[in-house]
Amino acid sequence: MEVKECNDLAEENQFIVDDVSKIIKEAIENSIGGTAYQHNKVNQWTSAVVESCLSQLTKLQKPYKYIVTCTIMQKNGAGLHTASSCFWDNNTDGSCTVRWENKTMYCIVSVFGLGI
Amino acid sequence: MELVNAYTKKRSSFGRQPLFCEQGPALCDSVPSDPAAQRGYVLRNPVHQPVQHGPRTSAHTVNTARAEYTTTGSNHAEGGWPKDVNVLDPEATQRYRRKIEKDENYIHCAMSLSPGMDHYVMQNNAIDMYQTYYTELAAQPPLERCSVRTVNVYRDPLAGGGGGGGGRPVSSVAWTPDGAGFAVAYAAMDAHLAPRAPLDAFVWDAESAARPAQTLRPPATLLDLQCSPRDVHVLAGGLASGQVAVWDRRRGAAPAGASPPHAAHRELVRGVLFVNSKSGREFFSGGPDGVCKWWDMRDLSAPTDEMIVDVVHSSFEAQSRARALGVSVLEYEPTIPTRFMVGTENGLVVGGNRKGKTPTEKLPAQFEAHFGPVRSLERNPSFLKNFLTVGDWTVRVFSEDCRESAVLWSPPQRRRVTAAAWSPTRLSLLLALQADGRLAAWDLLRRQHEPALAVRVSVEPLLRIKMHDGGALAACGSGAGHVYMVELAQSLVQSDKNDKALLTAVLERESRRERVLEARARELRLKLRQAEEGSAAASEEPPDERALADAAAEYAALVRRELAAL
Repeated sequence: MEVKECNDLAEENQFIVDDVSKIIKEAIENSIGGTAYQHNKVNQWTSAVVESCLSQLTKLQKPYKYIVTCTIMQKNGAGLHTASSCFWDNNTDGSCTVRWENKTMYCIVSVFGLGI
Repeated sequence: MELVNAYTKKRSSFGRQPLFCEQGPALCDSVPSDPAAQRGYVLRNPVHQPVQHGPRTSAHTVNTARAEYTTTGSNHAEGGWPKDVNVLDPEATQRYRRKIEKDENYIHCAMSLSPGMDHYVMQNNAIDMYQTYYTELAAQPPLERCSVRTVNVYRDPLAGGGGGGGGRPVSSVAWTPDGAGFAVAYAAMDAHLAPRAPLDAFVWDAESAARPAQTLRPPATLLDLQCSPRDVHVLAGGLASGQVAVWDRRRGAAPAGASPPHAAHRELVRGVLFVNSKSGREFFSGGPDGVCKWWDMRDLSAPTDEMIVDVVHSSFEAQSRARALGVSVLEYEPTIPTRFMVGTENGLVVGGNRKGKTPTEKLPAQFEAHFGPVRSLERNPSFLKNFLTVGDWTVRVFSEDCRESAVLWSPPQRRRVTAAAWSPTRLSLLLALQADGRLAAWDLLRRQHEPALAVRVSVEPLLRIKMHDGGALAACGSGAGHVYMVELAQSLVQSDKNDKALLTAVLERESRRERVLEARARELRLKLRQAEEGSAAASEEPPDERALADAAAEYAALVRRELAAL
């Protein structure tokens, strides 16, 4: 069936990966920019990253549900592999994963946006 | 966090059907493992994590603004000149003075100030402030401060070997006649249990406490060691085997002579004392077997004289060894050559006379002193009739005139009193040692119910004391084998001018009291005995009863008459 109102084409109803990626990079940079891995501060850092991501995303004023996950891993030589699978509406929903690293740690942030 | 997103949605788009499609498993991220990075980290096991939870405090001091004060004096010889008057110019000052004098208030001020000033000036003239007064009176002695301090401790160098806990207890201390050193004998009380315990006695030099000046080696345990009063090098000692032995310091450590066992005492020798004699070589000894033997040092094969300490009351009884009282301490005063005193193991003090012919003459006096063995017996150096005895828990002072009881005694102490000695310089002072290591200085002129000063000298019990002839030092021997040299304060060493008179008065008073009590006790005993004898005549009873009945009837009649008259 032809869908009359193609809300999907409106900017508001699309998950734009580039914007979100930029937001995430900014958030990480601001929270854990120049620090080395410290076990007792990791808790703070993850919360900070997630919070700042989310607040920036809601500022976009889009009718979206957001799910933000943040993983900080110390560069110990261990390997990490994550994957995700989703069941959604491809037109309106999307996800974005950003990996940021410095000399002592990796920070992987995933944002899933689901249109309302 | 407060995140609010208000959005608008067209009603037409409510409940839109979602067009679901599956987005297959997509890789989010993959980080390969890097063993090289792992080498940069070290496994830390265990991990210590300190945690502290405490109240956080801080200190802050605050003070108000302070004002600085100084106190200075000022010398005001002449002053108060106003600024415009030149002080050095006599005319200007004169002019100013005259101007002031013309002031009205000047007269009034001068009149009110002059009487006071007059008074002080006349006072100053009357008393010369710079004269020293009371120069003709003798200086008052400063306030008494009795103190005793330990000057030196001489430790038994052989301690720790056989003694176990400490050293061998000191069994006797004696100063050499020149007062520069003292001889100490040690007696391990369980000598029969540890036959290999060291037997040495030492002669110490009072100056050096590190090691003794000389060692003496007796053949058996030495229980008493005395220095000869005439000769510095000669010492006599009594042994636990009953023998007496003589040492000459120049000869060496072994005894110069010893009495043979068959001539010696049958039990151990408790005390040895030098006797006044021309050669200075005679001494006598006593022990628990109840016999006193006199010896001459030149020939120790047999005693020169013997006396059995058995007090008999009539000249018909013979003294017997079986009834003899064991001797625990000897006493001899060089100024009374033929008399001596003996303290026994059952608390009696027996006076003896060497020149007596019959047994009653030989042991004329007997005093009941204590409940246990008499530990010390000494005459007062200035009042030869009075002597002190130390026994169970008290110190008693006796007078030879009062046979029944002591003249002065201390209240029973907490611990046993082990030894006492008079001070040679201060007439009324005696030092007593207690079994808890305390030295008590009793001054009979100050207080008689408690010591003037009690000081703890050592932890272990103190056993023997010997005062130096100067009166300021006392050597106390303790149960652990240490000798403590104790120095007394000046106030305890010197006697005042009227001390002798006062002490005489005290002793006189006490002995008179005792004699009066004795007389009264004798009277009472006599009366009691008479009453017993008189009770055979029973006819005394009825007349008394009849008289009693008569008196009662008379009284009743009197009372009735009085009541009727009311």
